[in-house]
Amino acid sequence: MNQKVGTAPRDRAQGRARDNATKNVALVTGGSRGLGAELVAGFLARQYAVATLSRRKTAFIEQLLQKWRKRDFCWSAVDACDAEALLRYVMRIADRFGRIDVLVNNLGTAVDGVLPTMRTQDISQAVQVNLTAALVLSQACSRVMLRQGRGCIVNISSVNAIRGHTGVAVYSATKAGLDGLTRSLARELGPRNIRVNSVAPGYFESEMARRLTEEQKQRIVRRTPLGRLASAEDIANAVYFLVSEQASFITGQILLVDGGITC
Amino acid sequence: MLNRGTPEQIEAVVHEKIRAVLQERFGQVRAFGGADKLNATLGLSSLDLAFLVAELEVELGVDPFAKLVSITSVRSVDDLVRAYRRAIFGDNKLRAEDSELAAAMERAGSRKARRARK
Repeated sequence: MNQKVGTAPRDRAQGRARDNATKNVALVTGGSRGLGAELVAGFLARQYAVATLSRRKTAFIEQLLQKWRKRDFCWSAVDACDAEALLRYVMRIADRFGRIDVLVNNLGTAVDGVLPTMRTQDISQAVQVNLTAALVLSQACSRVMLRQGRGCIVNISSVNAIRGHTGVAVYSATKAGLDGLTRSLARELGPRNIRVNSVAPGYFESEMARRLTEEQKQRIVRRTPLGRLASAEDIANAVYFLVSEQASFITGQILLVDGGITC
Repeated sequence: MLNRGTPEQIEAVVHEKIRAVLQERFGQVRAFGGADKLNATLGLSSLDLAFLVAELEVELGVDPFAKLVSITSVRSVDDLVRAYRRAIFGDNKLRAEDSELAAAMERAGSRKARRARK
């Protein structure tokens, strides 16, 4: 039977999707600043069509919207704690571009403080933003990727998922959760040619690192064999590698990009 | 309002998608009936079922397993058809069929409870 039934809005999207038929599509969460912005710019430079979401529009996003005029780039304000909104967002992106080749779960929030005195509300929010949002987005995108018969998911984890540090128990737990997601989802989706990996950055120049005192930064640098903090570009390069053909036999792995601090 | 099709059309779409998955997985389309078990009889894995659900979401515009029905309650071809009919037509029109789906869901619940007790 060829007659379409139901409410699938695919037809109206086909014209737009055709425009992007030759381009790979990357969905990068939290792309308005920091590593997310680096990834958005990098994927666009690599001829991807890019979709990103964040809470607020930054000057970086404004610039891209003007430059690309919605052709290969789109941004949406989405609350990462709203699972329904995240699902609707993925459906909109799949309709608009016709496919999703890469999902980078980069959204994250830093939560500092020792666990015994942390507010329950802050714990819940960190789990929602850092872990639940990635689960929901991975679920929605994996459905699109299953139909395509290919795709890559990269979860941005942290060295804090590997090593324990005082004051980051909740953050560590959420990032370790992401790594668990990476390993199990890689097994689930591998048979359909969908690869799932984590990139675990060490400390790099970012909004989160700005919370560190100069003394803390210097201590990290001293303990890092390569003798410096990473740049966002260092981290992004690992992501580009993992989604590339050069990494076509790599899945379920946690790639540490930390200058050797955990070795 | 978009065309929602008839219950028979829903069944035809689900059957067509199952045939496509069987063709892709096994290189041939086996004959099957409504009572055939998706896993035990037709040999579809949970990932095949996930692929099927993703395809049917595009075709039918609904995902009954997001909220309405647990995927673990679906064992046979007819269970799958009923889940989509229920999602598309709602409870009133398909009360009789829903009772079968409810029975399937109850069976799944019992199995889960038994496993939890072990």
